[in-house]
Amino acid sequence: MSERYLGELKAELGAVGIRGSRRRRILAETADHLHESADPARFGAPKLIAARFADELATSGARRAAFSSFVVLAPAGVLYVVLFGLIRTWPDIASARFLPLAICVAFAMVLAPQVAFAAGLLAVARAWRLRPERASPAGEIIVLRRRSAVALGSGAAAFGAIAVYASEYSASLPGWWQDMAYGSAGTAFVALGGAGVALARTARLQPQTAGRGGGLFDDLEPVLDVIPLRLRGHPWLLCLLVAGAAAAAALLAGGPGEGPRNAAFEFVTVCAGFFALGGFLGLKD
Amino acid sequence: MRAETLKGHLDFLLLAILADEPAHGYRVIEELKRRSAGAFELPEGTVYPALHRLEESGLLASSWASETGRRRRVYRLTSRGRRALAGARSEWRGFAKAIEAVVA
Repeated sequence: MSERYLGELKAELGAVGIRGSRRRRILAETADHLHESADPARFGAPKLIAARFADELATSGARRAAFSSFVVLAPAGVLYVVLFGLIRTWPDIASARFLPLAICVAFAMVLAPQVAFAAGLLAVARAWRLRPERASPAGEIIVLRRRSAVALGSGAAAFGAIAVYASEYSASLPGWWQDMAYGSAGTAFVALGGAGVALARTARLQPQTAGRGGGLFDDLEPVLDVIPLRLRGHPWLLCLLVAGAAAAAALLAGGPGEGPRNAAFEFVTVCAGFFALGGFLGLKD
Repeated sequence: MRAETLKGHLDFLLLAILADEPAHGYRVIEELKRRSAGAFELPEGTVYPALHRLEESGLLASSWASETGRRRRVYRLTSRGRRALAGARSEWRGFAKAIEAVVA
């Protein structure tokens, strides 16, 4: 009787993505329990037990992965800003070894950190909101994992871009800056990769709880409460507000010469990013 | 008592049981039934996901122990778990007192 139950539980655990040492441990604990009680019916149906494991471990795992991604991304972001700040005179864009690549890299250097920052903050906002929950709906967990993955991927892309930039303009950039860019990129890849592996491990779990759960406006509730605008239910209005704030910052930073061009670029890219990634990152709920 | 009612308090109850001494899953469940005089009925297997999750959160720690020739996973409270339990106890007592004052 117990053997049959354990066989069914093993299959159900595998079906929700629990395998390897975790599954062996659960089966050993279950076998020990059934040795004492000898009543699999009181233990619960294998499907129910497997689903409960998947729900609880996926919720806590996704939350932890979001926080650890942010812990890695925050110092990486500071390092990135320092690297930018250390360049006194930017090389002439046309002096690259291979101009098309240099142009792509320049765009990535500006866009990727912003995507990483936004996705990382949104991941932390959701992880914070889900803090008291034992088992969240699958849809909420999937969006949380996506936000963490996009944040880590964009962070890695930003550091990859800066390393390629250092190589493309090696004739114009100081040697110490190039060494620093390569060293920072290597360190960031290791740290972001570590967080990525932890995220991938928890992403194998398939939570079973149905239901809608909360959306973007629930994640941002503490911030939205202090804005005297009715944004809830109007994601595009929120997008325009954020794009406007980013454009204003670019205008101030760029001064009268480059400010208006940078502001227009920021406004368009924020709106384009919202359009392209909004559904994937749960921004249009 | 319905399992759904119990679910919101399960973490607190598990921490309270393990505060006295380390125990394996079956013992925890038996203790839960004994202390509640059988009031808390839930599928026994659903306690294990909670134990695993509490361990992942750092509130519990566990290790294999050999007992009567069988390997058993024994759970114990960590210092973080003790602090969480103290906070939950204080919150619960305040809550219960307020409810009692209203409904008595």
